[in-house]
Amino acid sequence: MARREATIEAGSIQSWLTGGIAWLIPGAGHLLLGKWGRALVLGGAVWFCFLFGLSLGGHLFSVNGNEQGFSALLQIPPTVANLGSGGLYLFCWLFHIGFADDPGHAARPTFEYGWMFLLVAGLLNYLAMLDAFDISVGRKP
Amino acid sequence: MTTFALVASAVFGTVNKDTTRDRLIYGLKVFGEFMLVGLALSWILYFLPF
Repeated sequence: MARREATIEAGSIQSWLTGGIAWLIPGAGHLLLGKWGRALVLGGAVWFCFLFGLSLGGHLFSVNGNEQGFSALLQIPPTVANLGSGGLYLFCWLFHIGFADDPGHAARPTFEYGWMFLLVAGLLNYLAMLDAFDISVGRKP
Repeated sequence: MTTFALVASAVFGTVNKDTTRDRLIYGLKVFGEFMLVGLALSWILYFLPF
């Protein structure tokens, strides 16, 4: 009994793996757990927000060391939020999609809506990832 | 704002409640709150001179 509670508290390797996969591919964690409805809603929300944000011309943040002074620190919170999108962020980072930092790009009327949706996608995926982990551990039905 | 409210409330409802009925009610409540707060803030900012 105590051992089972300890496992629930810490989480098994499988639970951590499920959380990791949920982060890497939005919705996949719940799919692995057989929670199709949740996978559709949570994964769908993250994918929609991310793709919608990109289509609006949103900007993805990164900390590349070229910033001066405190602007490097200002890049950290949005980068953490963007990183929540997992594989979607990594894919865009690899192929340099959405990282353009030119005035013409920022002049688009939908630019700010775009990067806001990209931030929201990452933050929602963090929630989805924690939900998948909790289900896998047994804290949630 | 409506698109954001729809997506965020769907996720919050799904993550926070256990039964479908509770999820639906909570999602609708969060959606309404997002819309109300968004509209209220918009009007407040509209009247601010700076």
